[in-house]
Order: sequence, then C-alpha cells, then structure tokens
Amino acid sequence: MTSEKMIIEVEGLMKHYGEVKALDDVSFSVKEGEIFGLLGPNGAGKTTLMEILCGLRRFDEGKVNVFGLDLVKDPYKIRSLIGFCPQETLLYDLLSVRENFAFAASLYSLSSRKFKERVEFSSKFLGVEEFLNRRVQQLSGGMKRRANLAASVIHDPPIVILDEPTVGFDPNIKREFWELMKALKDHGKTLLLSTHDMYEADEICDRVAIMDEGKIVALDKPLILKKTIGGEASIRVRVKDDQVEKALKLIDKYNHIAKDNEVQVFVANPWETMPEISKKLISQRILTEKVEVVEPTLEDVFIKLTGRRLTEEYK
Amino acid sequence: MNPIVGIAVKDVKTFFREKGTIFWTIAFPVLIMLLFTAIFGRDIPFNANIGIVNEDGQTPITDAVISGLNSTGVFTLRNFTDRNEALRELNATNVRAVVTIPQNFSFDLMFTNHSKISLVVDGTNPDVARLVEDGIKNFFTEYYKMLYNQTYNMTYYEPITVNAETSFVGQRIGYKENIVPGMLCYPLLFSSMVVSTGAIVYEREKGTLKKIRASPIRPINMLFGKTLAALFQTAISILVMTVLAVTLLTPRLNWNVSLLAPIMFLGSMNGIALGLIISCIGRAPQEASNAATTIGIVLQFFIGMYFPIEYLPIYLQQIGRVIPMTYAAQAIRDVMVRNAALNEIVMPMITLTASATILYAVGVLLYKRWVEKE
Ligand SMILES: Nc1ncnc2c1ncn2[C@@H]1O[C@H](COP(=O)(O)OP(=O)(O)OP(=O)(O)O)[C@@H](O)[C@H]1O
Ligand SMILES: [Mg+2]
Repeated sequence: MTSEKMIIEVEGLMKHYGEVKALDDVSFSVKEGEIFGLLGPNGAGKTTLMEILCGLRRFDEGKVNVFGLDLVKDPYKIRSLIGFCPQETLLYDLLSVRENFAFAASLYSLSSRKFKERVEFSSKFLGVEEFLNRRVQQLSGGMKRRANLAASVIHDPPIVILDEPTVGFDPNIKREFWELMKALKDHGKTLLLSTHDMYEADEICDRVAIMDEGKIVALDKPLILKKTIGGEASIRVRVKDDQVEKALKLIDKYNHIAKDNEVQVFVANPWETMPEISKKLISQRILTEKVEVVEPTLEDVFIKLTGRRLTEEYK
Repeated sequence: MNPIVGIAVKDVKTFFREKGTIFWTIAFPVLIMLLFTAIFGRDIPFNANIGIVNEDGQTPITDAVISGLNSTGVFTLRNFTDRNEALRELNATNVRAVVTIPQNFSFDLMFTNHSKISLVVDGTNPDVARLVEDGIKNFFTEYYKMLYNQTYNMTYYEPITVNAETSFVGQRIGYKENIVPGMLCYPLLFSSMVVSTGAIVYEREKGTLKKIRASPIRPINMLFGKTLAALFQTAISILVMTVLAVTLLTPRLNWNVSLLAPIMFLGSMNGIALGLIISCIGRAPQEASNAATTIGIVLQFFIGMYFPIEYLPIYLQQIGRVIPMTYAAQAIRDVMVRNAALNEIVMPMITLTASATILYAVGVLLYKRWVEKE
C-alpha cells in the first residue's frame, strides 16, 4: 500500500510554551499509506506536534505541508483531510453513538448518503455495530474508545492522527485496537500515531520517529532502528533487591545499564557470555530471578540514544 | 448536514436530555410563574391577619363592623378578649394590626355621631403597614357612609370629593396584566444567557471543543450553531411561560406576535451575546456559570421587569437606561399593555439591534482570540 509520495512534510518545526521548548527543530515526512509512529516518553512533545498538525495549536517557526497544502495558508482545507483521534474520549455522553457520528459528520458537511455508507463501514470494520444505538454514558471504556476512533474517521479522511490510541488498555484490547488500525491502513489511510509503548511501535508502525525533549533523535523502520542502533542481543539479569550491589560489582567489567534490580549487559556474544555471568553470580551466592538473552527492542534504541528508559512500565 | 445545523441539533438534543439545563430553562421559570400566579392571580392580591379586640360587647353595630371587616376579603380576623394579648401577637408579627373597638363605641356613634377606634399597626414592614392602615381607614369611612345613609336616608358627602380616574390606553391594568410582560422577560435574561454561557464552557470543559476545532468548521459558524440552539431553547422557555401565563392568569393583554417575536428575538440575542462574552472571559466553568447567573439576578432589578424603573433611585435608573434589556422589557410591556404599534417600538428595536450586534461582535472576537491563543 505504501507509496513513495510524502503527504505530510514537516520542516524545522519549533514550538515554545514560555520557557519550555516543546518542539525543537522537528523535521520528518510521512509517506502515503504508512503507519508512522511517534515514540517517546512523557513530555517529549508528541501531543504538541500532533495538535499542531490538526490546527489546534499554533507553532513558532517551521513549515508544515499536508498534501502539498501549507498549514498556515490552508488550515481549513487541511483539517478536512485529517481525522483526529485524541487521547481522551471526546464523545457526548447523552447522545447515542450514532448521534455522535451524525454530529461529527455534520462538522465535515457529509451528505446523508455518504454518512450511511460510513456508519456501515464503522459497523463492519471498527466493530461498533452492537452499541450503535446506545448512549455513550452506558458504554464500557473499550467501547467508548472504539466509538471515539470510529467518530474521528467518520468523514473518511485520508490521514488519521491518533494520540496514544491504546494507552491504558489491557493487552487484549490493545491487540484488538492494533487490528483496527491495520484495518484502517488496509483501507488506504495514512496513520500518524503516538505511543509510549515500544511493542506497539514495533508491531504496527512501518516507520518510527523516536522523540525526546522536543527533538526527533532517530527515524526509520523499527527493524532497522533495532539493528543499527539497538545493536546485538543483550543479556538481562534480574536479582533480588538486596543483592543488587553485589551483582553490580561482578558485572562491572561489562558494558551495562542498571535500573532498580535489573541489569542489562551488552557484550559481543551474549549467548556465550550468559553462562559465564550465570556461573559467576551463582558462585558468589547471588540469587537471580532471571538471566536471559534478549533481542534489542526499540527501548534499547531509546536507551542507547538518550541513556534513559522510555517508560517505567516495561521492565 | 450543514455544520451550523449539526451543532444546533446536537445542542438541542443534549439540552432535552440534560436535567440541569432543563431546570434552568423551563422548570425555574415555571416555578416563578406559579408563584406569581399564587400571589397576583387573585382578585384581591393582599391578605393580612388582623386582631380584633371588642371591648364594647356584642351590639348590632359591632356585629356589623366585624362582619364588614371580614367580608372585605383583605383581612383575616382573629378575635381577642384581652388587648394585651393581641398586642403580644402583633409583636410576634402573627397579626399585622390590632383593631380595638372601645367601650361605648356603639353608644357614642348612635347618640353623639362621633366615635373612636384604636388601630395599632405592625411597623416592621412599611408596605404592609401602609396597606393595612389604608384598608382599615377606608373601611370605616365607607361604613360610616352606609350607616349615615341608613339612618338619615340621604347620601353622605365628604367636604371635598376627589374624583380619581386612571389614565390608560386600552384595558384597565390589573396586577396580572402588570406582571406577565415582566415575566416574559425572564427567559430573555436568564435562559439565553445561561444557555449560551454553558454551551461553550461545557464543550471546553469536556474537551469536545477540540473535536470541533479540529474540524474545518470556522469559529464564526460554530458560534452561529451555538446561537441557533440557544435561541431555540430560549424560545421554548418563552413558550412555556406564555402558555402558563395565559392558562393560569388569563391576563387581558395584547398578544401581538408579529411585534413581540422580533423584540424577543432581539432581546434573546443580547442575552446570548452576553453569555458568549462571559464564557470567553470566565476561566473555570463554574466561574462562568456563576457569573451568568449573578449578572442575570442583578440585571432583573435594573430593567424594569417586575417593578417600574421609577422605583430605582435616579442614579440606578441611569444604569438601567444603558442596559439594552431595559428596552426589550419596555417594548414588550408597551405592546402587550398599551397595544403599541410598530412605529412606537422602532426606537427600542433599533437600540436592541445595535447593542446585540456590538455585543455579539465582541463575543466573536473574544472567542477567536481565545481559540488562537493555544
Ligand atoms: N498548553 C501547554 N502549556 C505549557 N506547556 C505545555 C503545554 N502543553 C504541553 N506543554 C509542555 O510541552 C512539553 C511537551 O508536551 P506534550 O504534551 O506535547 O508531550 P507528550 O509527548 O504528548 O507527552 P505525554 O506522553 O505525556 O502525552 C512538555 O514539557 C509539557 O509540559
Ligand atoms: Mg501527549
């Protein structure tokens, strides 16, 4: 599906909130038909960037083109080409899902024929059929988020921007949502999404821009990022809390990063080094919870680039 | 669907499902209307408890006086045998006045043609005191006239007769006719302002404004949609008030819809524009809605809804005269009471149009500025 046509082009984007530099010289392009991910920790500037694209915030410097249109000159035309699915559920509790759709559709001046067609699409591919006529206040959290997503694409926009679409979901619903996003891609949409979740970025994004403190620190296909920056596989050691110090002494000679009771060791040949480390730990009577070889993840990429972890949740 | 209509439809639908707003736009006016009906919807819109101490004993004259006072309908009588006890009740404001018929009252009246009645009035409420005092004095004057008539078989004339006439164009004005036009200003002031303040503040608080702003609808059209919905809601509240007023009070007024509708439209637009301004200035939703309610409550004293603007001290009257809603209230009263024609309400209509335009423009600018600040 992915073509080489760039439909979102961002160049030298700057945004300050008073003293805070939320976006610092951000440049990237999104290809037609791809799922493009913005991966970064809290405060990296993901929301700021997306809301600028949607015309919700202004920017200080730089240039943004969408389908060749200038964001400053043609904001309204661009808005009609984008479906924005913000992190919070923006539905009216007292209206039914269908009524919410109708409202969203009216904002884009959809004809009633097209509206019917789109409701059908949402029922079929986004799984909202069972609760289409229920009031939003009666829906479960997951249903609301699905309806929210469907409402944001009711006008059939070529570009869908999703701000942390799966944050707070349990793994099952997360997977379900990944399928929804892939379905949108299969229907020819271009997706720009933000996430904290390296697995999510890895799983569904064609390309990922890693953001930190308002900057894009790396941008490529997940596989390439992992290979080129993440390096080889590494050894992960987890020990009992009170034995961290002892363990660190042993591991000190290897290139490593420690966090809480977990140490990640980077060596040329992890498969051979792992038993060696294991033996040493055992001989010193250090109780390990886990010693394993792990393939590099996007998190490793982030760690390599910034010296910090992406989030605290994934250990 | 057209986005302006889309926003209006959405707002109206939510309105009918939201208990809070329903209360403000319908239930509250209904409550007020019912209260005013209970107060003013009677033939004699006043009733006070009066203590009677009859020290003269039962005579045909005291019987006639007491039953006469009773039959006025203005007073509810309570008989006391002890004057001091009656005065204690007066102090406790359980009765508003104590009428003492002294010993020899009947005798003096029959044989000397002059007698005295003692009246002690509760002074804690000047209005009530005045009404009670006037009522009792009037009663005795009329009673004496009747007695004179019976005794001498000729009409009693006071030394000077004041020939009082009331000037009015059209119908005679009763309490009901006075109060209904004022009541109809209520939705213009409260519903319109509270609704339009809420319309934007609510979306902002819930974050749904984001969705609207991310869509290609222009800010001005979004405001038009909101305005349309607010107008509709105000119209409903006016309609409810009107129906209630007509069925409960049956006032004799001119319902010249072709003149009333445009005045009410312009009045509502002023209220809506004011609400729009408030919702852009108020930071927290609670702050904005409190501001709208407070402004409404204050304004109702200035615009001559319930009592004429002449009741206000001169400097407050001047404030009243620069508030556009005053002209709406006046024009509505003129049409309904005096049966004013179009040419008589042109000036207030122009004033209302001008102020609505200015206020609305300020509202739009504030909203745009607020939207672009992000
Ligand atoms: N309206 C605002 N006013 C002032 N500062 C802001 C505002 N919005 C964001 N910021 C700041 O800008 C920086 C980037 O915030 P942003 O919300 O874009 O990050 P994010 O990557 O979306 O974070 P998260 O993952 O927590 O959603 C942060 O330092 C934040 O504090
Ligand atoms: Mg964010």
